[in-house]
Amino acid sequence: MQNLSARQNELIQLPIHSIIFLEGVAGTGKTTAAVGRLLTLIQQGIPAQQIFILVPQRTLAQPYREVTNDPDLPPGGAVTILTIGGLARRLVELFWPEIAESAGFHYPEVPPTFLTLETAQYFMAKLVRPLLEKGYFASLSLDPNRLYSQILDNLNKAAIIGIPYTEIGGRLKSAWNGSPGQLRVYDDVQECASLFRQFCFEHNLLDFSLQIDLFLTHLLPNPMVKAALNQQYRHLIADNLEEDIPVTHEFIRQWLPHLESALLIYDLGGGYRVFLGADPTSAYSLKDRCSQKIQFDASFIHDDPQRNLLEMMNCSLNDILPPSPTSELRTRLQTISQRFYPQMLDLVTKRICTLINEEGISPQEIVVLAPYLNDSLRFSLTNRLERAGIPVRSHRPSRALREEAVIRTMLNLAVLAHPQWLERVPLNKADLAASFFLTLDGLDLIRAQLLANSVYFEQNKKGKLAPFEKIAPSIQERITYRIGEKYERLRTWITEYASQPAQELELFFIRIFDEILTTPGFRFYQNERAGELVANLVESVQKFRWSIPPSLPLGAAESGLEYIQMLQEGVIAAQYLRSWEREASEAVFLAPAYTFLLANRAVDVQIWLDIGSSGWYERLFQPLTHPYVLSRNWENGKVWTAEDEQRVSQQNLSRIVLGLLRRCRRMVWIGFSELGESGFEQRGLLLRAIQRTLEIINQEQSNG
Amino acid sequence: MVDFQLRPAQQQIIRFRQGKMGILAVPGSGKTWTLSYLAAELLAQKVLQRNQEILIVTLVNSAVDVFSQRIRAFLEARGLMPIDYRVRTLHGLANDIVRERPELVGLDEKFQIIDERESDRICRSAVDAWLKQNYSTIEPFLDQDSTLSQDYNFQLQFPDFLQDIAQSFISQAKDRCLTPEDLRQKIDQLPVKLPLLEMGWSIYHDYQRALRYRGAVDFSDLIRLAYNALEWDIALLERLQYRWPYILEDEAQDSNWMQEQILRKLVGDHGNWVRVGDPNQAIYETFTTANPRYLHQFVRETDVIRRELPNSGRSTKSIMDLANQLIRWTMQEHPVLEVRDALHAPPFIRPLPPSDSQSNPSDDPSKITLYKPRLTPDQEIELVVRSIKNWLKDHLDWTVAVLVPRADRGLQIVEKFKEEGIPFEDSLLKTTSSTRQTARMLGDILAFLADPTAPKKLAKVYQTWRLAESNDLELDHPAEEVLQQQIEADMALILQCQNLEEYLYPSPNKDWLAAVLPPNDPAEVDSTEPIHKLSPYQRLDRFRQLVRRWQETILIPVDQLILTLAQDLFRQPVDLALAHKLALILRQAQDAHPAWHLHELAQELTVISNNQRRFIGFSKNDSGFNPEDYKGVVVVATMHKAKGLEWDRVYLLSVNNYDFPSGAPYDRYQPEKWFIGGRLNLQAETLAQLEWLLDPNQQSFPSEGKPTQQARLNYIRERIRLLFVGITRAKRELIITWNSGRNKNQQPALALRELWDYWDTHYAQTTS
Repeated sequence: MQNLSARQNELIQLPIHSIIFLEGVAGTGKTTAAVGRLLTLIQQGIPAQQIFILVPQRTLAQPYREVTNDPDLPPGGAVTILTIGGLARRLVELFWPEIAESAGFHYPEVPPTFLTLETAQYFMAKLVRPLLEKGYFASLSLDPNRLYSQILDNLNKAAIIGIPYTEIGGRLKSAWNGSPGQLRVYDDVQECASLFRQFCFEHNLLDFSLQIDLFLTHLLPNPMVKAALNQQYRHLIADNLEEDIPVTHEFIRQWLPHLESALLIYDLGGGYRVFLGADPTSAYSLKDRCSQKIQFDASFIHDDPQRNLLEMMNCSLNDILPPSPTSELRTRLQTISQRFYPQMLDLVTKRICTLINEEGISPQEIVVLAPYLNDSLRFSLTNRLERAGIPVRSHRPSRALREEAVIRTMLNLAVLAHPQWLERVPLNKADLAASFFLTLDGLDLIRAQLLANSVYFEQNKKGKLAPFEKIAPSIQERITYRIGEKYERLRTWITEYASQPAQELELFFIRIFDEILTTPGFRFYQNERAGELVANLVESVQKFRWSIPPSLPLGAAESGLEYIQMLQEGVIAAQYLRSWEREASEAVFLAPAYTFLLANRAVDVQIWLDIGSSGWYERLFQPLTHPYVLSRNWENGKVWTAEDEQRVSQQNLSRIVLGLLRRCRRMVWIGFSELGESGFEQRGLLLRAIQRTLEIINQEQSNG
Repeated sequence: MVDFQLRPAQQQIIRFRQGKMGILAVPGSGKTWTLSYLAAELLAQKVLQRNQEILIVTLVNSAVDVFSQRIRAFLEARGLMPIDYRVRTLHGLANDIVRERPELVGLDEKFQIIDERESDRICRSAVDAWLKQNYSTIEPFLDQDSTLSQDYNFQLQFPDFLQDIAQSFISQAKDRCLTPEDLRQKIDQLPVKLPLLEMGWSIYHDYQRALRYRGAVDFSDLIRLAYNALEWDIALLERLQYRWPYILEDEAQDSNWMQEQILRKLVGDHGNWVRVGDPNQAIYETFTTANPRYLHQFVRETDVIRRELPNSGRSTKSIMDLANQLIRWTMQEHPVLEVRDALHAPPFIRPLPPSDSQSNPSDDPSKITLYKPRLTPDQEIELVVRSIKNWLKDHLDWTVAVLVPRADRGLQIVEKFKEEGIPFEDSLLKTTSSTRQTARMLGDILAFLADPTAPKKLAKVYQTWRLAESNDLELDHPAEEVLQQQIEADMALILQCQNLEEYLYPSPNKDWLAAVLPPNDPAEVDSTEPIHKLSPYQRLDRFRQLVRRWQETILIPVDQLILTLAQDLFRQPVDLALAHKLALILRQAQDAHPAWHLHELAQELTVISNNQRRFIGFSKNDSGFNPEDYKGVVVVATMHKAKGLEWDRVYLLSVNNYDFPSGAPYDRYQPEKWFIGGRLNLQAETLAQLEWLLDPNQQSFPSEGKPTQQARLNYIRERIRLLFVGITRAKRELIITWNSGRNKNQQPALALRELWDYWDTHYAQTTS
């Protein structure tokens, strides 16, 4: 364990039977102290299985997981580490027979089907699509996939703040100050949400909102559940409470009197997940329920100039008279300025090289942050850094499967093996050429095109591939017989497969991958990445199939076709983590600002890009839902206006900027291009605040 | 700072600190300059509070950057940071407003703005679908000639024509904040079915549904929604009123109803508003709600300070006299009384005051030629070409332009210039270099990747690759020639290769390149050696390696593909920045059309490169046309595109009664189609019915033919102003010609005859 401060030791040494509320800003060592307390509990003989650790998202459990995996710990059971969603799901599984009937499920004797976000979206799409045709949501301009996800989002929000889902439409309506014509969409939202909930009851489906609902209304009040919880767990550590949802806070409030000890941790200045339903206010109200209240003030991260920078920025953001800047400040906040965006990226890359190669900063001590991280930016910067020999990793957690060429190829092959699907999932020659190119080893793009042109005829919609021997000899020769032989192996396999009764789609993928594509002569042979992708695909198909309840019978072939269509339409994104993204190597970290904030760590150098963007502080604008109106802190019936918008924007900006600075040890570089990546100049609030700060620093310098 | 001295008229304007001011300016009076200066002056006087900006609204993208740069220069000259101002077109401003709270107007965070091209595409499919079902609805309006339906030209033009009607119908409905649902309600209340309204509604309905499904809005929606947002959310309005306490509006003569409404809201009761414009140059009014009337009314409002910018240093006295005479004649003598308001004075154009540090070009009336003889269109071109040929050799450091009423006429002239070897610049007829080249180069490569067996496309890629390199080399003229020959020879060679796999992916026994160009040079070549210094084999070998690499990129997402290509092709920052933007655009297109392949994406780039769509952003590089860059070269442009520009010598062509009608019984009007019965202007008829529908109780129904008549008057007005714009482009020398048209029955425009008479007298007086 690293050196602890006196305050931290004081906390750790508090008597076991304490109910503690610990607060402090980022970087004051709260989690470190909590981990110390956890160890002390275990070392003092508390059985690990009696300890419950509650975090708002899995990544925030990392420090606890690391220490509980330590082989030096006394032997015994394991500490339970869960999010509130995880707990809810576990309890639903355990107590299903107890609650299913009273909750209103149609088949209480059958186990429920848990939906992921995507499978929930699939069912929502099924229900809502016919209504769109009828003219629902007519006054909106919105991609249907986003429409489905926003309705689901509303259900989730209602659940996490603990209001009946039937109030969603009414609440949104009462806060609306736009066109009266638009009000109708909230009725539509309510109708769709209710339909969906009804559908879930009819088919034993449990989406996130329903799990939380059941947790709050059926599990928590149930004496059996209470007894089981109290029996198993006697000690609670809840970290980052400010990022958690009101239901969690409610749960803790009810549980506290029954626990032997509790440590509740609150990050002052946090609340980055407000958009996702986090509620710092309700978290803070738990303080009164705790007998011990402790605050950490001293930062482990900041030296004086850095603290000075934080104060200066705080003043610029909130229109307060700034303190005088220290002489070192100029080196703590610096800019890289160019006219065009790629030029700025070049300079940023150069600067990173200098930091690493000349100033001796290690790559993992540098983060590059932007409000959003689109693929083009990620690719451009990663590419530049890699060319400069700088290790880089990017945390854009996931990517949709359909964007991968390997996956598209697998889908195309699946369509060829199920020619009856062609009506609904067309396949053209260009797709096919790319698939040949990617699978047949030694095939180039030109010959792939020749091959596709010669063996596949889109118009007849039969999807049959012609044998190689039927191709004109001169073309055969151009394609080469070597390729012809490989093609024939693929074609024969597919033809045979198609002649047999349909199997589950994942079986098709596994079989064609094992029996053909990974054999010598094919490009997936010894190709780990393809293997990994296909494994992801198989998992995604399985999950999809499992989410279809027995009450909705869908044959193997139909469910396969449904899956492919959903994937192509983007209803299911099947996002996955790429292995290289999981590696936490020693690399420069490229991430959206919020992701970095929630990773809970400090670095030496931060580089901020796109500071003119309003993405730093604006919420996501979604016409069908509203993170602030659907929260506990919003007075029902009040109208949401631009004034509110501005107030929360300002709060968000302060929160995020100060949060970042609290996680920065040495310096912030600003990457600024006059014209943003789309060619427009941007003049957001952050840019102005930074300009004001720089002006003061520069003025002071010139005066001094 | 620029060394200058403010003229008295300018001084009055610069002193503005608060309230409202309307400025009527004349051509060449330095409107943009004065407005930029005022913005800088206000900033220097520290009139703003925290988080406030001066908002400058102008008409076109190209002007945005001109303003930004000018203000920046003024501010930097005063040692001020170039911030706290924002220059926007109306679309840009509407976008800013809507982005403040998109959900307020039913949009998602990631709402898309579709541009004209996509809008055309959607509208066209709605029109085609409608036409298939409803031909009989529109048939009664057609000319009752029984052969019409077989007429090739009719089949070709008719859908386009309907699309024009539909588009103007849709944008007018949107301008009036009418959704298809609102419109339906109103139509259903009518006692009879009106076919034109039914058609308009039906297409609008389909069109809007398609937009909704994409989560997209078009440009008209953007403006309508911005207005709605301001109307519905008082707090938003107040916030924006605070943010923009000063609004400076340029080109206010082209302001439309909506623009005026939006700006009025933003100005509110306490804001400050300066509007500058020249109502005599309003040339964008046909089938829009733009109207110079708004500016005229504004300057007459009681709380508005009226100012003029009457002094112009651009032209010689003779040219100014001619332009002023056109105003005078129109106002006092035009045979059609209703159109006498087409041009307006005061202010007449006045020369610079003697005290000014600059002065007008010295006058030489002999440099004005108003050519009277009747010419066929071909003869007219020949005459002009001959004249230019003679003149150009003695005026290599002068600027000259040929201005035409329509782009197709310009293209005919360009052809002739090519034949005669006269240096010309036609980018104003299309678009300018930067975007076009970058997009075109990338588009060529995508087109090849989509069709990798085509030697022709590969040859094009080769050319692209070499051009990209030569852009970075600064070669002198002879070296340039040599390079061109090299490229052409290599391309010719590639074209001979029928089986491209034998070139790009050779096998030991089938290596096309080794067969046609036996490599006798050392195999290893320094990879940094410039391409043009390599042997033919080495060049084509290096190219082959590059293409093989590019072919691998078809497996990665399109945005990454574009960025990869760009890294291989471009060095210039602006090209790389454009490529970055194109990558974003294509990615967006791909997301919106998941079924698209490289082929469609390549077409998208072609479209951008042909400027069939407006390409927002990077405006300076895209449209900063400066005539001074083209000395000794003939610039060919439409009169519309020439607005805001000036040349030493200007030719105005086709000044006849077809392009500039005057209400004479024998005049023909372009919007009245030959295949429509009774030569109705169907577009005008449809729009008039739509206008009437807004308030059927207050107005009488537009009886058939009346809107056509009204449209004629508007057309006559606008064309007079277009002629005025044309004349005032000239600094020293002006030549005006006319032709008798394809059917040899056209007359000189009435205004031109009038100018002949005036000039004969005037010239006689001046020279005597």
